[in-house]
Amino acid sequence: MNLLTRIADIFGFLGHFPAYAIAYIVETLIVIIFGTVAVAGMVYLFRKYMARVQIRIGPNRVGKFGLLQVMADGLKLFQKESIMPSGRDDLAYKVAPVMVFIGLMMGFVFIPYGPLAWFGSLTVTHSDVSLVILFALIAIMPIGEILSGIASNNKYAMLGALRGVAKDISFEVPMMLSILSVVVMASANVTNPLDLNGIIQAQSIPFIILEPLGFIIFFISMIARASQSPFDMGESDSELVTGNTTEYSGLRFGMFYLGLFGTIFLGSMIVSIMYLGGYNGPEVGYLGFVWLLIKTMILVVITLTVWLSMPRVRIDKFVNFGWKILLPLSFIQLIAAGFLTLGGIA
Amino acid sequence: MIEVKEIKTPRRIPFFGMVMGMVTVFKHAFQKPVTVQYPEKKDDQGDRFRYRIYLSTDDCVGCTLCEQVCPNLSITMMTHDKDNPRNKRKIYPSVNFGTCTVCRNCEEICPTDAIYLKDVFETSRTRNSFFYNPVELEKDEGDVIK
Amino acid sequence: MENGLEKKYIELNMGPQHPSTHGVLRLKLLLDGETVKHVEPVIGYLHRNAEKICELDYYCDSLIYFDRMDYVAAMNMEIGYLEAAEKLLAIEPTERVKWIRVVMAELGRIASHLVWAGAFGLDLGMLTPFFYFFEEREKILNIFTEVSGSRQETNYMSIGGVYQDFNDKIIYKIREFLKQFPKKLEEAYSLFVKNDIFISRTKGIGILEPEVALSYGVTGPMLRASGVPYDVRKDAPYLVYDKLNFDIPISKGKDVLSRFIVRFEEMRQSVKIVQQALDKIPDGPYFNPKAKKSLMIRLRGEGDVYARTESPKGEFGVHLIGDGTVKPYRVHVRSPSFKNLSILPYLSRDVLIADMVAISGSIDLVFGEVDR
Repeated sequence: MNLLTRIADIFGFLGHFPAYAIAYIVETLIVIIFGTVAVAGMVYLFRKYMARVQIRIGPNRVGKFGLLQVMADGLKLFQKESIMPSGRDDLAYKVAPVMVFIGLMMGFVFIPYGPLAWFGSLTVTHSDVSLVILFALIAIMPIGEILSGIASNNKYAMLGALRGVAKDISFEVPMMLSILSVVVMASANVTNPLDLNGIIQAQSIPFIILEPLGFIIFFISMIARASQSPFDMGESDSELVTGNTTEYSGLRFGMFYLGLFGTIFLGSMIVSIMYLGGYNGPEVGYLGFVWLLIKTMILVVITLTVWLSMPRVRIDKFVNFGWKILLPLSFIQLIAAGFLTLGGIA
Repeated sequence: MIEVKEIKTPRRIPFFGMVMGMVTVFKHAFQKPVTVQYPEKKDDQGDRFRYRIYLSTDDCVGCTLCEQVCPNLSITMMTHDKDNPRNKRKIYPSVNFGTCTVCRNCEEICPTDAIYLKDVFETSRTRNSFFYNPVELEKDEGDVIK
Repeated sequence: MENGLEKKYIELNMGPQHPSTHGVLRLKLLLDGETVKHVEPVIGYLHRNAEKICELDYYCDSLIYFDRMDYVAAMNMEIGYLEAAEKLLAIEPTERVKWIRVVMAELGRIASHLVWAGAFGLDLGMLTPFFYFFEEREKILNIFTEVSGSRQETNYMSIGGVYQDFNDKIIYKIREFLKQFPKKLEEAYSLFVKNDIFISRTKGIGILEPEVALSYGVTGPMLRASGVPYDVRKDAPYLVYDKLNFDIPISKGKDVLSRFIVRFEEMRQSVKIVQQALDKIPDGPYFNPKAKKSLMIRLRGEGDVYARTESPKGEFGVHLIGDGTVKPYRVHVRSPSFKNLSILPYLSRDVLIADMVAISGSIDLVFGEVDR
């Protein structure tokens, strides 16, 4: 009994097929709302954590402990005038933030959330290749960022977009190779290693113990995907103002902003699924979702600490790092994973 | 003789220092904040903190020394009809707090200590009402209505 | 060009309203992709005519304009002006005043370097250490408030003396600060120099050869980081620096990183100086009776003096000409930030934008002083 069937039962009077169609739509909506709330929570957590780390108080005026601050900021962005640059590429300029936002939200749909108490499994879709779909979806986001940089007719934005391209291509290959080694490991134990559920089931021992190198590579890649410090060359505020989002204002800027924080949350979730065993833990059938959230939050705090304590990497150094260090390491990881699998350790 | 000390870059272990830096940053999350929430809580200002200029019109002799010494012409003399036998010309200083830099030269040069500063600093006003005439300078900040 | 195509550069305006430019510096960049081909600093956005205004004011009044030149180290600016003014007016400060001024100058130097280190971290994208430095700086500013009544633009010194005397509470506060400061400093220091990314961003960037530095008139930590042990406090001692025991930190690295570590070592030396000076402050009057407060606006000076002091940014020189009246005839300031800024186009040829930001951050620019 999972959440999907429970919702379908409510609409059961429509017959089997329409009920499931509506159930899918409703659950997708729930997940999108969850994603938005999670992102808002991320913004609040970031601001509060940054303040505490910097021995400040942080937001505490709007609502109790400033909990409504994010909502107030969102409303402010909503009612702000969207100032558009002249000489922009109109369609691309307007599509770019939507692309980032949609890519993020669709990523949330394919996450296996695991079971929670009475609701049962919260996972929306079951696909044998959900891993591939997930990474295809979050690969949409950089396209939006690049589009926004090129369409803004601004030199800072263009330089930011060019840096973004250089950054993206230098970490995506090692990231995919480290995913491949996860799949290799998982294929030893389960029949559907391209399914995120299958990967979680294969982790009786979390993969972080079996392939720590892959974890580090993937974690670094996820930080770089979220384009936050130390890998925020694309929007480095002390060099390129804010890079590709320089010319955006109002709700369009808000979408990029949510995209940044959403990627941190989504990335941490993916890392915890791939390497920390996702919803695995004591009382899986009852508390699975809670375990996933706990693992995610630990990773989020680590990510934010990295953000707050590291200087920005120079773009050419990062490209070197990606191609000359991460790529060989991920090949080594892949070979090691092959040996582990053949040796029957995994 | 010159003592010269050459500084070398400290040695470090790759990546270990970064992790230790993260730990240092994380540790600060449990420290008490050093900032204070301003209107509810006010920091101790110290004994010598001064901001608001006060004037005792009974003591002022209208010598215009404060006007002369003021570095950026914040003080101008102004006629004020008050029965003060020591101030025959009936001129008293008036202060524009919009340009006052709180250099305290007026307080130091005043021969009769008629002009003095106190640690009142919450003197926010609308843009064109920073100008205090001698009567307002004599009052407490709360009593000045603009 | 060989292939018949004209090479085109991107022109980029950085500033005067840009997150990384300290104050209101405007940089006109010519870019070849990410590489900076040419930098042209444009200054004057904070020009307040301070030198001219000083000529229209009494000798005692000019202090507040010097406070606002290097607004992060106001105490050092006051000392720089008073060194010249006291020479011109022939009013010697008393012995106690000299020691008090040394204490204040060194605290001001620490405060200035703390701001620089925090802002430099922000330039490189480190958000957090900025606040740790400002926590410490706030303690120094509290001491300044206790001493002078103001946080930043202190106006503490006066001709031949200081505004008010030291008391036990102030000395206790300074000692308390010095007790905990070195530990905090080392903690923040290790946040930077133990970080591989920071080292990779600073090491070997912006190499300034000593000959070039001397020919451009660069002074201060910039010059000392290039390996030239030049410090006015040692080479031409003023106040009581010849009675104090401290070292001049130099580094042979010549790059941005060595400027960073030299400034940190200067802070450690400043702590040493303040500790020595606090022990040695003699008793006595806190102002010269020849310059008592009621005589402030009657001081007359005639002559032509130039006095130099070591401000946190470098050699700070003040040229005063008096014509026998109560106001100076000419005031001219040799400001170290301005001279150090002139090296920026030389240093940032064929570097990446990120390095250019690091180099301009390492110069320690304060625009109140550059534009005056």
